[in-house]
Amino acid sequence: MKNNFEKKKFYSFDKNYSSNVFFKTPDKYREIEKFSNLSEQIITTGSNFSYSPVAFGNGSLSLILKKFNRILNFDSEKKEITVESGLVLSEFLNFLLKYDLWIPQIPGYPFITLGGAVATNSHGKSCGTHGTIRNSVKSILLFHKKHGWLELSEKQNKDIFDLTIGGLGLTGTIVNITFRLSELKQKQFTTTSNEVTSVKDCIELIKKNNFDDTFIYSWNRADNEKDFGKGFVFKNIINKNSSKNFKRLPENRKNNFFLPPFSLWNKSTIRAANIIYSIFNKSLKNKKNEEIEKVIFPFFGKENYFNFFGKRGFIESQLLISYKKLDEFFEEFLNLYKLHNPIIPLFSIKNMSGKQEYLRFEDNKLCITFDYVNNKLNKKFLNEIDKLCIRYEVLPSVIKDSRLNKKTFDSCYIHAQEFRDKLNSFDRERIYKSELSKRLEI
Amino acid sequence: MSYLIVGASSGLGRDLAYTFAEKKNNLILVSRDEKDLIATKSDIEIRYKTNVKILSIDFSSFDDINSKLFSDEKMFQNLKGVLFPIGHMFENDNVDLNIENIQSIMFSNYLSTVYTISKLKKNLMLNEDSAIVGFGSVSSLIGRKVNSNYAASKRALESYFESLAFQHIENKINVQYYMLGYLDTNLSFGQDLKLPKGSTKKLSRIVFKNINAKFKKKYYPSFWIFITFILKVIPFSILLKLNKFFK
Repeated sequence: MKNNFEKKKFYSFDKNYSSNVFFKTPDKYREIEKFSNLSEQIITTGSNFSYSPVAFGNGSLSLILKKFNRILNFDSEKKEITVESGLVLSEFLNFLLKYDLWIPQIPGYPFITLGGAVATNSHGKSCGTHGTIRNSVKSILLFHKKHGWLELSEKQNKDIFDLTIGGLGLTGTIVNITFRLSELKQKQFTTTSNEVTSVKDCIELIKKNNFDDTFIYSWNRADNEKDFGKGFVFKNIINKNSSKNFKRLPENRKNNFFLPPFSLWNKSTIRAANIIYSIFNKSLKNKKNEEIEKVIFPFFGKENYFNFFGKRGFIESQLLISYKKLDEFFEEFLNLYKLHNPIIPLFSIKNMSGKQEYLRFEDNKLCITFDYVNNKLNKKFLNEIDKLCIRYEVLPSVIKDSRLNKKTFDSCYIHAQEFRDKLNSFDRERIYKSELSKRLEI
Repeated sequence: MSYLIVGASSGLGRDLAYTFAEKKNNLILVSRDEKDLIATKSDIEIRYKTNVKILSIDFSSFDDINSKLFSDEKMFQNLKGVLFPIGHMFENDNVDLNIENIQSIMFSNYLSTVYTISKLKKNLMLNEDSAIVGFGSVSSLIGRKVNSNYAASKRALESYFESLAFQHIENKINVQYYMLGYLDTNLSFGQDLKLPKGSTKKLSRIVFKNINAKFKKKYYPSFWIFITFILKVIPFSILLKLNKFFK
């Protein structure tokens, strides 16, 4: 690499992987072309908030698109907006909500870029009804080092359009995106919580409440076998009687320096935190009003939850499981839990809808999330869970779990080879690569 | 009222455009990069509801300036100020640079600015507290091995702005000149700079805040005033001996 590149150590959000990478920050359209020609391997970087190292990799020049954050076209009548891909979610929503419009598939942190959200086909809390961001994307302007500027949509370059949404940035640099917008007149939500005593109870309640305008998800305990699955199911319903006004969403990050050298999450601290959280939720009214910020960005202002994992970070495992195989899966999961006694600070369940294709994490299944402390014991446990995933046709999220290997990926993502073949035929030199794409040999 | 910003497609120029638009000023934006100008125009008009006129002009060409910038007299009827956050350079710029590239640097950074000011002064005189804002570079403080012609063009510009300030000391036009140190733009990325970079966003807010002020020259980041002073009092013969510290 030439020495006029900037160099910086990049970390995956879960802190499992880091690498010194060269990067460039284009400021003009012609600089995207110019900088792309400076390196044989490239990957586009948004805010780099992916748990897994999707947006950087050793040997790949990172093109950071933060300066491409403009609104290019907005038609409130047609409910369409075209934006540059470096625009972050909070700025995007602060603009749209004034017109009572938004896209409902908003991933949970305000500073994620729209390009990153599209490249990872991200989803929000309402994925049970609204699916993933793919449902709101009308068209994309892509730059590819060899193919140049490409307009992608259902009508133009459809094959590449399909590969690009959820394609982890491997088809090129997503520069502009046109979204189809949905109405959101009221900006407050009514949140109700219901206590559940087991995973089975929890799933029943979540399945029953899969309605439009309702975000339903759970918080469950996983700190010990006896209390496994106990918790609360939360429902956020749009409050039709609330005001159209809204509190502006945060556009600037707060500096957060607290990062202990070791994990503060262990069996005792998790148990204590879970008991306090349970008592707190029981003591609250069953119903409360919440601002949109609290509902769609639940971790904003609570970043210390992640910092508590310390310098070694954590592992997030997000799984899509078919409703038919849930009982068997959880039975085996609990057997393994008894055997390995893993340290799990977070366990949550929600519905997911969509059609699984290529690398996309979507299907009409149940979405289950676990956060693990990053240690040998938990990794051993997770290796066993990988085998369960293969056996029960469970889909693990590649953008969440930075530990996943090619074997598990190939067995669970049945369309992965089709993606590889189409990508290789589009880009024979395979220019766009990240750590993740190299690990999974995509 | 409107402001003309030359070099508005990126870096400081783009930030100036947003800062002035946010305060509901109409803008005339000039740059070589039409695609970027269109994107910035759309964004500003959608967000701030101000009028933005864009002109794709190669500022190293008088013909381009005459045919595109000065073809419509009406455009400058309510001109409140002109700002020149323009900096044109070549990677291989040194004392042996070919004459075509030297000409291009001199035209873009110096002659075109001087020409534009001379053509627009009559429009600016019509308004109270109108402003002409130039942007220099600390690279012009002493001669140098790299960016030699860029530094020379900026030193010429500084001298011109000093003359302009003398001429307009008692009339309506505020002449302002910002001497810029390292900024967080692509011009300084990847370079082994020993001193911190200033933020172009912050600078654009300073420029807007001072647009009606009567000062003539300002350093940004401000610590460069001390470095400038030191470089000016040290005899050149000593500076030559210290040349290994200078690029």
